[in-house]
Amino acid sequence: MDQPQSGSDQKRGAVETAAPLFVLKKLDKRFGATHALKAVDLIFEAGEIHAIVGENGAGKSTLINLLTGVYLRSSGEVFWEGQPVALATPHEAIKYGINAVHQEVVLCPHLSVAANLFLGDEKVHFGLLQHRAMVREAQKILDDIGFKLPAGAILSALTIGQQQLVATARASTRGTRFLIFDEPTAYLTRQEATQLFALIRRLKAKGVTIVYISHRLEEVFQLADRVSILRDGQLVSTQRVADTNEHALITGMINRTLEQMHYKEEIPFGAEILRTEHLTGKGFEDVSVRVRTGEVIGLYGLIGAGRSEFVMSLFGRYPKTGGQIFWQGQPVDIHKEKDAISRGIALVPESRRDQGLCLNLGVGLNINLPIYERLTKGIVINPFAEAAAADRQIRDVQIKTASRDALASSLSGGNQQKIVVGKWLNHGAGLFIFDEPTVGVDVGTKAEIYKLFAKLLKEGAGIILISSYLPEVYDLSDTLHVFRRGRLVATHDSARTSEKALHQTILTEALGS
Amino acid sequence: MSVESKTGVEELDPAALAAATKKRARIGTLLSLTLLGLLALMWVALSFSTRSFFTYNNITNLMRQGSMTAILAIGETFVIITAGIDLSVGAVVGLASVIIALLLTSNFPIWAAILITLAFGVLIGMFHAFGVSRLGLPPFIMTLATLTGLRGVGLLVTNGSTINITNDAFTSFSQADFLGVPNLFWMVVVVAVPAYVFLHQTRFGRYLFAIGSNMEAARLSGVNTTRTLYIAYILSSVCAAFVGILLATRIGVGLATQGEGWELQAIASSVIGGTSLFGAIGSIHGPLLGSFILTTINNGANLLNVNSFWQRIITGGLIIVIVYFDGLRRKKR
Repeated sequence: MDQPQSGSDQKRGAVETAAPLFVLKKLDKRFGATHALKAVDLIFEAGEIHAIVGENGAGKSTLINLLTGVYLRSSGEVFWEGQPVALATPHEAIKYGINAVHQEVVLCPHLSVAANLFLGDEKVHFGLLQHRAMVREAQKILDDIGFKLPAGAILSALTIGQQQLVATARASTRGTRFLIFDEPTAYLTRQEATQLFALIRRLKAKGVTIVYISHRLEEVFQLADRVSILRDGQLVSTQRVADTNEHALITGMINRTLEQMHYKEEIPFGAEILRTEHLTGKGFEDVSVRVRTGEVIGLYGLIGAGRSEFVMSLFGRYPKTGGQIFWQGQPVDIHKEKDAISRGIALVPESRRDQGLCLNLGVGLNINLPIYERLTKGIVINPFAEAAAADRQIRDVQIKTASRDALASSLSGGNQQKIVVGKWLNHGAGLFIFDEPTVGVDVGTKAEIYKLFAKLLKEGAGIILISSYLPEVYDLSDTLHVFRRGRLVATHDSARTSEKALHQTILTEALGS
Repeated sequence: MSVESKTGVEELDPAALAAATKKRARIGTLLSLTLLGLLALMWVALSFSTRSFFTYNNITNLMRQGSMTAILAIGETFVIITAGIDLSVGAVVGLASVIIALLLTSNFPIWAAILITLAFGVLIGMFHAFGVSRLGLPPFIMTLATLTGLRGVGLLVTNGSTINITNDAFTSFSQADFLGVPNLFWMVVVVAVPAYVFLHQTRFGRYLFAIGSNMEAARLSGVNTTRTLYIAYILSSVCAAFVGILLATRIGVGLATQGEGWELQAIASSVIGGTSLFGAIGSIHGPLLGSFILTTINNGANLLNVNSFWQRIITGGLIIVIVYFDGLRRKKR
């Protein structure tokens, strides 16, 4: 899988003489008050593999959406082959040959692989679809690019990884000259990743420009010619891969101040709050963990490793099929959310948007949703108690909002997250489950969330923290559990092992080999 | 993914936010005022252009006509706020008129007949909620099925015939008035005031909005979503059964085919009154205004001798115009 150094050197030599394919000048994007991308200058040469790295929320997705015409830039200029272009619609981007393979597969799951490949460009004979010819041709395309996939299969019958390859095949066949990959290997097996890398190198050889976005820095060094770092919507640097190293990239990506703000205090552990024994349900199997007061247990793993399913089952959202939950030493049955909430389990779910918030309702209503029973006197809600409860959390967790009546959607991502946290503080809980609490949250809010952890722990709560960001989950957890394909594969006492050695081990455990 | 990265520096300016919120509240009030203004404008225009509009008889008649749509629209609004829809209300009206007529001709006392008919409304609502929350059917499909099915039930029990109600005490109710205001309109007050309290001042009202905004978030916040859906559909069907009773007092018969198309009147009233079919936005005064706007259009068009076919076209056009402007208002948020 090693990129031959001489090959990229040659490429670079060729590149310097030709005009750049795609130039971004002071590209800027604002969403209301949110400044997502700040005056980014980037040059993409024809036939280069250009990696873009950055933390969650650094602006990578915004950049992709601008390049593919999904968003319209707020200001700045874009030049395609030296000509200024509007790039106002996805259609226009496709016309230039700009395509993207997204993290989530955007294809039709009910159609065959071949039908998906030819979608919008079907082979027709006298108005009738030529199914067999399309399957044959699709198979030829797949074989040609080295993907071992059946063209006649229905897409939904394939694994996510295979579907991702179909999406890649589709994006790379239709006169594409500029192809963006957004975390393409997140769901791929090793063999599939090898097939993908081979394709990427082939596309590059044909002169296609590749933008490669990944959290996996080793892939960047395997594949890319140049690498750009984004941080907080700004371009930190663009360098040749040969001129940099992993450490330098990480330093560029991570905001130093954030590192210092990772908050950990020695808080003595107390009594056991919750214990699971061989808990099994849909998406996870045989999970045994224990949380004590003052303790943070971290659940690390890849997306889809079964961590969210596990905590959702603790919370009564999905049923368990085996094993036992113990609450303060007693076996308990948790059938519905209310069972968990009334015992004192609080959940800050993975997706703010889909699971955490009623976006088009007021901040106050969102905060008070779990406690309306308490706010009701007789039949009607006590309006003063309702207002006071909302205002208390707005003040305590410092939610920046005009008033408790402002819509949740009018707030920034970080402040929205604070609403989701705040509603459980009003309710009061003994065990807090945070599922990816800092995704898409700005640096300042991140620090506040970490501080809140310490406060909760001091007050005698326990925390289950799910995070796919290893430094975070490592720094914050007292005990770190690694999930892989629905199973708990390893447990580490983070205080005892040296950080660097452990990172390596944990990564290997989570990825599997 | 649209709201992604930001730093402390670019946090929203609270003053600007406050202004935006106030502006939104103002626009919200503006819509109800616009509707009220529209209603008033129509009344003034009709008073000048026809001799018979602004007469005691016509106004009370208009109140009687509008009150049934208004009650249906209030019930419908509860369901629409949960991002559902109840297409069956017209059929429930017809069936309820049959039930109460049968009960009264079987010499049940009026109070018992009313309670039993309303109980049927509760059962129908429970059935809808069962289909939606337990069987996972889309509300549109579930209530489309009962829209057809319940008419069939009504026709089956009556064999398609009309049942005359001979109970004078019952049928005189709709003709009578209290303090110069028709009894039927008082019934709107009887429904609307508790409905207002329920929607805006109880936790179940909050839960209706929460479910309509994000069912999963409500659920994960400990809201019993199933029970809340039951409440919404039961309220809608009970309102419809109540309207069936009122209709029976007004026309003195029970007939399964009555109330044809009333579900669309109810939905239109609710939507004109600012209820969002996507859920989580709605009120009680909105559907009230909406239903009386629709009734005034029909009443005025009759007085002006406008072809009744035109009434339908005007109503349709009005729905598009009002909801379009309402959509503009929301987009600005």
